[in-house]
Amino acid sequence: MRYYETIYIVDPNLENQVLENLKTEVGQQLEKTGSKLINHRVWGKKRLAYPINKQKYGTFVLMQFEEGDQVKMVEFMTLMKLNNSIIRHMTVTLDSKPEVHVEEVKKEESSKSNDTELKTDVSETKEEKNKKVEKENSTKEKEPLKVEKVVSEEVK
Amino acid sequence: MAFQNRNKFCYFKENGVHDIDYKDVKLLRRFVNDQGKIMPRRITGTSAKMHRKLVKAIKRSRSIALMPYVERGIE
Repeated sequence: MRYYETIYIVDPNLENQVLENLKTEVGQQLEKTGSKLINHRVWGKKRLAYPINKQKYGTFVLMQFEEGDQVKMVEFMTLMKLNNSIIRHMTVTLDSKPEVHVEEVKKEESSKSNDTELKTDVSETKEEKNKKVEKENSTKEKEPLKVEKVVSEEVK
Repeated sequence: MAFQNRNKFCYFKENGVHDIDYKDVKLLRRFVNDQGKIMPRRITGTSAKMHRKLVKAIKRSRSIALMPYVERGIE
């Protein structure tokens, strides 16, 4: 048996309930192909590395399943493509059977903290770049950093 | 640069990593330069086998917008 993982990005502006509806819809579509859903969870809202459809953020949803009918999977993929609220999707084969993800409140918190860590990482690298530029130009140190923070707040 | 002036070793073999997950952006970031380019094996010291897996993971995470194709400076 083969196992697959599909990750898809959903419009970040969707409300929670609409997102849940979309999730169940996608799950039902997948089960029509005869595949067994193992995990289906919202990974979280993340900043996209590059804008897609003029969106800077996206909600990532992860889905792991056991293989079903290959021919029907093509139909499922076209449905995913045609769905307007799904910005992008990708399916990948897994080497081994995925473990069932148990959702806990603590885990959600940890995932959130991971997100913030990633964001801080990005900002740190930017700051490093800034510092390099500053050394070259020998200009004031703190000003560009402040500007950055303001920009990021506006985005949020 | 994080990799300069250091004895080369394969990060993944050293840490017992066999599969690289494309969702682990924090790890993949280490093997990409400021521009977002994948660093060559001769600099990172990654073994050939793991480098192939690494490249695959980075390309996957690029296509799902977890990592940039091109990283320009600050907008």
